[in-house]
Amino acid sequence: MTVRPRTGRRTFVERMGAAVAAALSGAAPSACAPHDEDGRTIVSLWFAYGGKNREELLALVDRFNASQPGVRVVATYQGEYFEALAKLRTAIAARAAPALTHVIGEVVPYLAEAGVLEPLDELAPASSFDLVPALAQEGAYVNGGAHRLVALPFNRSTPIAYLHGGVLRELGLGPPKTWDDLRAFARAATIRAADGSVTRWGFVCPIDWWFWAAMVGQAGGEVIAANGDVTLGGEAGVRALRFWQTLVHEDRTMKPPPGRDYNAWQAANGDYLAGRAAMIWTSTAFLRYLETNAKFEVVAAPLPSDVRASVPIGGTLFVMPKGSAPRVREAASRFLAWMMDPEQANQWATRTGYMPVSRRGMETLRASGYYAAHPNDAVAVDQLRVATPWPWSPQLFRVQREAVQPRLEEAVLARRDAALVLEDARRAAAEP
Amino acid sequence: MKPRHPIHPYLFLLPAIVTLGVFFVVPLVIAFKNSFYSWDMLTPPRWVGGANYAALFRSGEVIGILGRTALYSAIVVALSLGLGLALAIALDRPGRIYAFVRGAVFSAYVVSWVAVALLWMWLLDADAGVVGGVVRALGGTPRSWLADPDRALFAIALVSVWKITGYAMVIFLAGLQDVPKSVLEAAALDGAGPLRRFTNITWPLLRPSAAFVATTALLASFQAFDVVRVMTQGGPVKATTLFVYAIYEHVFVNLRVGRASALTIVFFVVLLAATALQLLAWRAADRARASSGGSA
Repeated sequence: MTVRPRTGRRTFVERMGAAVAAALSGAAPSACAPHDEDGRTIVSLWFAYGGKNREELLALVDRFNASQPGVRVVATYQGEYFEALAKLRTAIAARAAPALTHVIGEVVPYLAEAGVLEPLDELAPASSFDLVPALAQEGAYVNGGAHRLVALPFNRSTPIAYLHGGVLRELGLGPPKTWDDLRAFARAATIRAADGSVTRWGFVCPIDWWFWAAMVGQAGGEVIAANGDVTLGGEAGVRALRFWQTLVHEDRTMKPPPGRDYNAWQAANGDYLAGRAAMIWTSTAFLRYLETNAKFEVVAAPLPSDVRASVPIGGTLFVMPKGSAPRVREAASRFLAWMMDPEQANQWATRTGYMPVSRRGMETLRASGYYAAHPNDAVAVDQLRVATPWPWSPQLFRVQREAVQPRLEEAVLARRDAALVLEDARRAAAEP
Repeated sequence: MKPRHPIHPYLFLLPAIVTLGVFFVVPLVIAFKNSFYSWDMLTPPRWVGGANYAALFRSGEVIGILGRTALYSAIVVALSLGLGLALAIALDRPGRIYAFVRGAVFSAYVVSWVAVALLWMWLLDADAGVVGGVVRALGGTPRSWLADPDRALFAIALVSVWKITGYAMVIFLAGLQDVPKSVLEAAALDGAGPLRRFTNITWPLLRPSAAFVATTALLASFQAFDVVRVMTQGGPVKATTLFVYAIYEHVFVNLRVGRASALTIVFFVVLLAATALQLLAWRAADRARASSGGSA
């Protein structure tokens, strides 16, 4: 007979007393290593996926837990990326941060500068993971210099175009290769009724910083210069915004979906799956989801070029907030190393649509013929040639969220002059 | 009644004082202090004096938020009051069908804001929504209510009205129970028509209910958050960034605790001034009623 430890009233009172004493003495609550009733070290992992990606992550966590006698990763869903980030910041301030979490690439340099991330190079050198350099943000800090490793890539992605296979056949067109092609395709694919309402949009794209940054790159600019200056692409930034304005207001072939952030992304996915959009731009992350749920052929394609081909790398990286006990950190690093392994990296990538972060893993997939058999998966991987990591400046996150994102809406939805809007955004970005 | 010991009344007040102190006064004092700092919760706060207030006023943010919140509140209060009253009068009748309709109207009030917001996002979708379908069937062109900066505020205000009108109706129904039927019958026998009976008897007796509904609707509208968070996230182009959402955005999106605190203090001062004005107006009305009653 197994005798399970009892948690009686007295034990509860004792634990509460200890917690209160620890709080009053100023000790961090996470300073002692938590463990389960089998003595395994508990590693709390906050994650930010719903749907299929959540199922895949939990499956990986279960597999890790089953393989580790001394460690148990407890994964907790914390809402989408920005909700999870808000909770993480509050938890760090309250000294109740999880042992592990994943955050968007734009915020990593900010968190690193604030000194709230545990350096990971003490646990294992980055080179030991054999990561794809761009996905690992290698050499991405503006102004160069030596920086500690504070983040490891997890779900990295690029924006790609998803086209309705039936519409392509109906129009006898291929995926657009240039901005001009895109404009022509959107015109041809939009179906407008006599009363002016649209039954099928040629192009649906969230008015979001990520897609604008892609277009800035395609127009030959960069959002943040190598020396850290917030240029917002200069003329290229204006050109990108004007292109959106043209599609929305002059051609009336592009629908900006309602909502912000991932609400707008979900709305775009919904339009695509319902056949109301001939083409959307969204993340590789939705590849498996869209393929599974579409009642038509899903055709993935690289984003079109303007003066050049370019896409930013998105998605998140694993970070280890400071404050965990050494035993927990060691256990968490074991999980990280396991996740960087080609087998796990490839399982995650092939079942979701994200890119394999392990170089060896990617080569294995290519050699096995996986990409030849799954051409939609090959799009993002091939697009890596023109993908640029985020320019890691501590201001990047604030530039994105406060200075640029709300102003993109101003330009496209309220038709403010693109140059003036970006001038405003540069001014806002310069605010302390 | 004289207390046995002078301290006894204060002891009875103590729980309320402690609750108010811990959950209202202390946070307000902390917010006031934070409003003079630049702080992101992760790095040490940095003293900036009145820079947070200056930035909020210089950028026109306060005026914009105040205008939007006032417009939203005006729509929500006026329509929920008017519709609540109309429904109460129309449904203040015996019978199962009326009881069912009363229950149906009130049911929206007990549903969570998040569920209501999600439901209306679907209903208002320009391409696939029911509202768009009805507009199309009537020969009109459906609009994207939530994606249009000129319409989004009205859309969330109407959703809020739909949600809280049932509550206003119930309060008015309770108020209608207090209107003596004998007085209404006597007025009818004296030849007063329905409109006259309403304006001269029913409405004056419903005034306390109306004041209660208006106050609760005003409070609810000034605290609107869930409907904005779910339906529009403050957009498009800040068209639905109301006070509470703006504070949330500064703290959790822009990482600016100091600026959010400054906005909280401004919000507090505005509400304090509005409450003081309302009190003054009520007292003036009371004095006017008392003096007219005295001269009669």
